[in-house]
Amino acid sequence: MVALRFSLRAILLAGIACGSSFTSPESWAASCCGGGSSSSLIMPKFSRAVMNLSVDMENYNGFWNSQGDYRPDPKDSDLNQYRINLGYAHRFASRWQGSVILPYVWNNNDYTGLISNTRGLGDTTLNLWYETFDKITCVWKVRQWADLKPAVYLGGSLTVPTGISRFDNVANSFDITGRGFYRLDANLLVEKTIYPWNALLLLSYGKYLERNVNRDYGNYVEPTRRQLGDRMLATLSGGYTYFLESMDTLTFTLAFSHLQEDDGRIDGRPDPSTRMEKNSLAGTVAWSTMDRDWIFKGTLSHAVPRNDWGENFPVTNVLSFEVSHVLR
Amino acid sequence: MFFARRLLMMVALVLLAGCDDVMDDLTPSGEDKRPEVVFGSVGAQVGQIAPDFTLDDTLYTPYTLSTELGGARAVVLYFNMWCPICDTHANHMRQHIVPDFPTVRFFLVDYVSGSVPLSRSNQVASGYTDFTVLVPTSDSFTKRYQATMGSTVVIDAGGRIVRMNEDYLDGNKLRATLEALP
Repeated sequence: MVALRFSLRAILLAGIACGSSFTSPESWAASCCGGGSSSSLIMPKFSRAVMNLSVDMENYNGFWNSQGDYRPDPKDSDLNQYRINLGYAHRFASRWQGSVILPYVWNNNDYTGLISNTRGLGDTTLNLWYETFDKITCVWKVRQWADLKPAVYLGGSLTVPTGISRFDNVANSFDITGRGFYRLDANLLVEKTIYPWNALLLLSYGKYLERNVNRDYGNYVEPTRRQLGDRMLATLSGGYTYFLESMDTLTFTLAFSHLQEDDGRIDGRPDPSTRMEKNSLAGTVAWSTMDRDWIFKGTLSHAVPRNDWGENFPVTNVLSFEVSHVLR
Repeated sequence: MFFARRLLMMVALVLLAGCDDVMDDLTPSGEDKRPEVVFGSVGAQVGQIAPDFTLDDTLYTPYTLSTELGGARAVVLYFNMWCPICDTHANHMRQHIVPDFPTVRFFLVDYVSGSVPLSRSNQVASGYTDFTVLVPTSDSFTKRYQATMGSTVVIDAGGRIVRMNEDYLDGNKLRATLEALP
């Protein structure tokens, strides 16, 4: 009887639980390369708004060089970036939602005696999402083909360079909290839950806008037009949800992310020095209250310090804690 | 809705609070703001005479700028901190620039290690034993050259900084500068 009541409640709550606000597991920064980026924020169907607060602690552990070989950081270096991300998502219509994420960044670096402690805004992200579905797509059992239909979101993002970039009045590369370029992304997110399992695929293609540059690391330089290379992100994740006795849920998720940027451009010429690639693994534990109005998450994102897991980019581990409140 | 408006106001206030730096990236300028220099004066700007120096390399061999210029068409200083971008730059320079300019002296300047043994260790670990790595033991040298990660300084045989004291970027400007040397 208890088991039956449990499963009935579970079915009733499935609709609410499904799509409990999620953020992209991909979260990457790198203070020496800009950093301060934040992920997208999506709210569940039929909710009115989501407030989100997350804290990221990123520790640097060497880098991949341009050939993809792993190189440790110099001895006696301790590089860290901390971020607080404020997010707010709002539903404009039954199928439309938008969000804004504003990071605040602390750099705390000791690089073989070169000590830098700086802080400032990171780059702000504005997102707009269109939901291609009207009904909740999470199911407990597949009884017909229609039950396999996933939730598909189509989105666009604008990254606004509100951070402190290398083109601002900075003393060195450790001072920066943003990349200095506007970027437009086209996003596709596909999510399917067949309880207790779920899977998510996020594909994103971004284009940086070209800009003028007349200063680099604090020194005025011969003006040029610069552009970072096109950016591609793919994240695949799978998760398992436990329904607790209280009907709170505990969801464990494993994710793999691939991020790359092509050659940049300087006055129209290719600039291979900004090309990068990063592969990372992430594990997330999320606890949701019974009514799914509060979600607490802890995520560890790990970049593997081995050859050919990345290129021209720092190897980092990111520990994140996140609280979301869903307004119905 | 009320919350959204408050959030937007808060964001706007925060943006305005850090206005100077934020505005630089929000509305970037293409105006040439490099300071005018008195040609022949000593300093780090293009057109000035490069400050002379003597620095040890990672094998404790001393190198003096004026002496090096006596036997070369130019000296190139690349300011290196053993980071991903530095590695990309230095590797590009090694493969695509250095072989084409045998009469130019190329130096990596390790401005972060602070000691010869640590610098040697980083040089070996990073695979740059084929480069001469100069090791300033204080930051005054880097300040005198107004340099930071990736700064590339070209000094001609007359001791003058020519065309560049700026980021290596894709190496094209360095190549063009060296090709234009007398």
